[in-house]
Amino acid sequence: MITYIALGIFALSFIFIVLELYDKSLIALSGALLMVIFGILSPEEAVAAVDFETILLLLGMMLIVHIASSSGIFAWLNVRIASFTKGNPMAIFLLFSLCTAVFSAFLDNVTTVLLIVPLTIELVRGMGKDPRPYVFATIFFANIGGAVSLIGDPSNIIIGGASSFNFVQFLQNMSVPIFFVTLFTLGVFILVNRKKFKPIANDLAELTIANVIIQKIKTKFIKRTIHKDFVYKALSILLLTLLGFVLQEFLGLPNYVIAFTGAILLGLLTSKRLSIHESLKSVEWPTLLFFSGLFIMVAGVEKTGILSAVSNTIAHSTSDMFLLSLIVLWSAGLISMVLDNIPFVTIMVPVILGIQAEVVGADTSILWWALSMGACLGGNGTVIGGSANVVAIGMAKKHGVNISFLQYAKFSVPTTIGVLTVCSIYLFFRLN
Amino acid sequence: MQAKIDIFSKLLRELETELGTHDVAKLMLQSLIESVKGFKGKNVDDFCEQFARLEKIISSTEPKFGILNYHFLNLRELFDHEIKSKTFDVKKWKHLVIKSIEKILKKSNQEKEDLIEFADKLNIEGKTILIHDHSHTVQDVLAHYKNQGKNFKVVIAEQDFEKTHSNIERMHSAGIPFEVVPAYMLSHVHEQIDMLFFGALTLKDTMNFVMDPGTHSIISEFNVVHVPVYMFIGTSKFSLWKSQRRSEIFIHRHTMKHHAQEIEYERIKYSHDRVPAELFAKIVTNNGIFTLEKLKVFFDEMMTKFGKKE
Repeated sequence: MITYIALGIFALSFIFIVLELYDKSLIALSGALLMVIFGILSPEEAVAAVDFETILLLLGMMLIVHIASSSGIFAWLNVRIASFTKGNPMAIFLLFSLCTAVFSAFLDNVTTVLLIVPLTIELVRGMGKDPRPYVFATIFFANIGGAVSLIGDPSNIIIGGASSFNFVQFLQNMSVPIFFVTLFTLGVFILVNRKKFKPIANDLAELTIANVIIQKIKTKFIKRTIHKDFVYKALSILLLTLLGFVLQEFLGLPNYVIAFTGAILLGLLTSKRLSIHESLKSVEWPTLLFFSGLFIMVAGVEKTGILSAVSNTIAHSTSDMFLLSLIVLWSAGLISMVLDNIPFVTIMVPVILGIQAEVVGADTSILWWALSMGACLGGNGTVIGGSANVVAIGMAKKHGVNISFLQYAKFSVPTTIGVLTVCSIYLFFRLN
Repeated sequence: MQAKIDIFSKLLRELETELGTHDVAKLMLQSLIESVKGFKGKNVDDFCEQFARLEKIISSTEPKFGILNYHFLNLRELFDHEIKSKTFDVKKWKHLVIKSIEKILKKSNQEKEDLIEFADKLNIEGKTILIHDHSHTVQDVLAHYKNQGKNFKVVIAEQDFEKTHSNIERMHSAGIPFEVVPAYMLSHVHEQIDMLFFGALTLKDTMNFVMDPGTHSIISEFNVVHVPVYMFIGTSKFSLWKSQRRSEIFIHRHTMKHHAQEIEYERIKYSHDRVPAELFAKIVTNNGIFTLEKLKVFFDEMMTKFGKKE
C-alpha cells in the first residue's frame, strides 16, 4: 500500500509540474510534505534526504554569478564581441554561439541567455534581419555549453553530487562529446541559415547600418557606470573559484565549500558596491526549494524499493554497457525534450546507483555521462525543454520577436535527434 | 532601397532621442569610417556608386537629418573630385576616404567650438536659465560657462525620464547648481527665470525649428511673460532644401491599460514640435548670433550655395 501511495504522490507531483498547475517549488514541497504526513519518511529521514551539498553549491554559484553580472563585466564582454563581429552575420552567429557555450559552462544557462538574447536581437533586428536563428542558437549553445561542466547545468550538479565526480572529471569526460556536438550543431545552423548568414562586406549601406548599431550599443554601454575595482574583484574571484574547482582534489575541499568560499569572499570584497541583501534577493530560492522537495520525494519512492527493482530489471536485462548507456541517453534525451529534466535526473540517480551495485566488475561510470548528455542536450528539443529555452523565448517576445512552439520545433527536434545520435556514436567509440 | 530607408529612419530617430542630433552625426561618421575599413567592393568606382546610393538613403529618412545631408553632400563632392575613376589601390583610396571623413568630423567639432565662442557673448552672470530638451549643444555651452567660473543657476523642466536624467547627469558632472521643476508647473517659476536655452534637430526653410516635443508650449508660455528664449544650433543642421511636406513629426499610438481598473485607452505621443523662429530672441550659431531677419538672410545664402530640392 505504502508503495502505491509513494508512487502516487510522485506521479501526481510530476503531472502537476508538467501541467504547470502551480509553481513547481510549491508542488515539490507539497509532495515532500505528503511523503512525511503519510509516514513514508520520518521527518528526520526527510531532512536527511536533502542533498545540502548540491543546494549549497547552487546557492554559492547563484551568488557569485549575480555579483559578477552586477559588475558589468559580462555586458562589457558582449559589447566587445559585438564590435569585433563588425556586423558580419556569420561572425555574429559564430562568436555569440561560442560565447554562449563558454558562458553557460561556468554560469547558469538562464543568466547566459539573459545576457546574450537582448544584445543579439538588437544587433540583428536593427540590421533588418531575422533574429530567430540567433535566438535558437543561443538556446542550443546555452544547453550544450552547460553540459560540459559540473556547474554548467543543474542536472550536472545533481549528477556530480550523486556520483562524486569532480569538476575536472566532468571536463575530461564531457569535453570530447560536447566538442563534436558543437561542431555538428554549428554545421546544421550554417547549412539551414546559409542565406541569412551571407556576408555584407560588399554592401556599404548594410555595413554602415551594422556599424551604426554597434556604435549605438557601445554608447549605451558607456553610459553605464562601470567601477573598475568591482570588475577586477568579481573577475578575480570568479577565476579563483574556477581554479578551486580544477584543483579540488589537491585542495581536498568539496565543490560546495569552494563555491561558497568564492561567494562569501566576493560578497565581502564588493559589499560597498553591492548590498548582500540585493544579492540574496537574486538567489532563485524557489529553485532551491524545488530541489529540496524533489530530493525528499525521490527518497520516499526509493524507500519503497521500487527504484531498486527498476535498477535490477535494467541491470539484468542486458550486460551490454553500450546498450545500457544508449537506454539512459535516449530516455533522458527524449523525456528532457518535453519535460523538466531535473525530476527525471533526480529519480535516475538511485536507479544508476542501483545498476552500479548490480553490475560488478564493469566500468559503469559511462551511465552518468550518458545521463548528463541526454538530460542537458535533450532539453534543446522544444521551447519547454529547459529553463533557458523558456527564458529566451520570453525575452525574444518582450523584444517583439515571436517564436511559436512549432517554428522552434521544426528546427529543434531534428537537430536534437541529430545531437543525440552524435552522442550515441561517441558512446560507441568510447566503449569499443 | 525603401527597406534600408526605413531601417535608417528608425535607427536615427532612436539615436537622436538618446544622443541628440550633433552626436548622432558624429556617430554616423564614425560608423562610416568603420564601414569603409571593412568594405570589400570591387573598386573605387563601386565604392563611389554605393556611397551615392547611401547618400540617397540618408537624405530620404523620415525625419530628414539636415546635418547628415550636409555632411554626406560634402563628402560625395569630395569623393567625386578626388577619388572617383582614379587608379588608386584599395589601401590608397580607403586612406583618402577615411581622411576626408575625419576632416568632416573635425570640422563638425570645430563648429561646436565656434558656436561656444559666440555663446560667450551672452551675459548670463547671476542669471537663472531654464532648459528642457537634452540638447548636447546647450549642455556643452552651460558646462563651458561653468568652466569659465561664471555664476548662474539652471532650472530643468522635467519631461521624459531619460531626457531629464541626461540633463541632471550633465549638470551634476559639470558642477552646475540646478533644480528640477515638472514642465507642467513652470507657471509657478516665471519670475525666477531670466532666460531659456534650447537646441534643435534642424531649421527648415519655413523658419521653423524642429525641436523636442513639449518645447513649443514652454517657449510660447515664456514669450507671453517676455522672458527671452535663445536657440543654440550649428548651421550644418539646417535643412537646405524646400520643404514639401511635414514629415518630421511622428505619432506613436499605444494602447494603455488603467493601472487599477479594466479601462483601455489610446495614448498618443509625438516625436517633435515645430517651433517658429520668431519666438526666439536670439539664435546662436557657429557663424554668429542672429535675429530672425538676419537668420533668414543667412539661411537663404546657404541654401543657394548648398541647397537641393527634395
